[in-house]
Amino acid sequence: MDSLIPFTTSGALVDCVDRKMLVILRDGRKLHGVLRSYDQFANLVLEDTYERIYHNEHFAEEPIGVFVVRGENVVLLGEIDLDQEDELSLSQVDFKALQDIHKHDTASKKIHEEAKSQILYEQKGFCKEGGEGDGY
Amino acid sequence: MLPLSLLTAAQNKPMLVELKNGETLNGLLINCDNFMNITLREVYQTNPDGDRFWKLKECYIRGSTIKYLRVPDNLLDAVKDEQNRTRDANRSSRGGHTGPGRGAPRGGNFLHTI
Repeated sequence: MDSLIPFTTSGALVDCVDRKMLVILRDGRKLHGVLRSYDQFANLVLEDTYERIYHNEHFAEEPIGVFVVRGENVVLLGEIDLDQEDELSLSQVDFKALQDIHKHDTASKKIHEEAKSQILYEQKGFCKEGGEGDGY
Repeated sequence: MLPLSLLTAAQNKPMLVELKNGETLNGLLINCDNFMNITLREVYQTNPDGDRFWKLKECYIRGSTIKYLRVPDNLLDAVKDEQNRTRDANRSSRGGHTGPGRGAPRGGNFLHTI
């Protein structure tokens, strides 16, 4: 069977169904959830999903239920090793507490990236990033 | 249950649609097609920063502008139940012939549930 499906297409996801997966979206969101279904565009159905945000040694989770993600927004899809997940060295904190810090982090990172690409464009002969400005 | 079939089966259910630009739309799903184009009714729209709101009677969203849809937690179960009911109704309307037919594999009922 392995030889029949080109395993670079979404056919590769067949082994991931009913597994707990990490999904990273183009906007930087990190979703953890159980993959229930997918199609040829890598549109995904995730169940028992939660969004995770990080700041230094801390992370926080917010449950968001059932999610249908449009495939083109998916950057990365990876299976979570349930054994290793328990041995996490990060500490979990309240989502609301971390949310504002995370928002601030994202904003300052964006400013930093814009300044960087401006310098690359003006002084180093790089071209402007096309598209939607999210690096993808 | 493919993602788009799930969506088709979610008609009249409330859902949250986030667009690629970060705007969100909360409303009841009226219809959707194979491009993921959807129409919603009784919509609350918020801007990307989440600090401005609009109320729309009805709206149409082009599928290609969607980032994700957040649907009710019980939708997966509800859709499965609905499918089972439809199947059972079809079966009984064909004269209550429930056993595996001639030439059907043993445990044919099981195959129907996949």
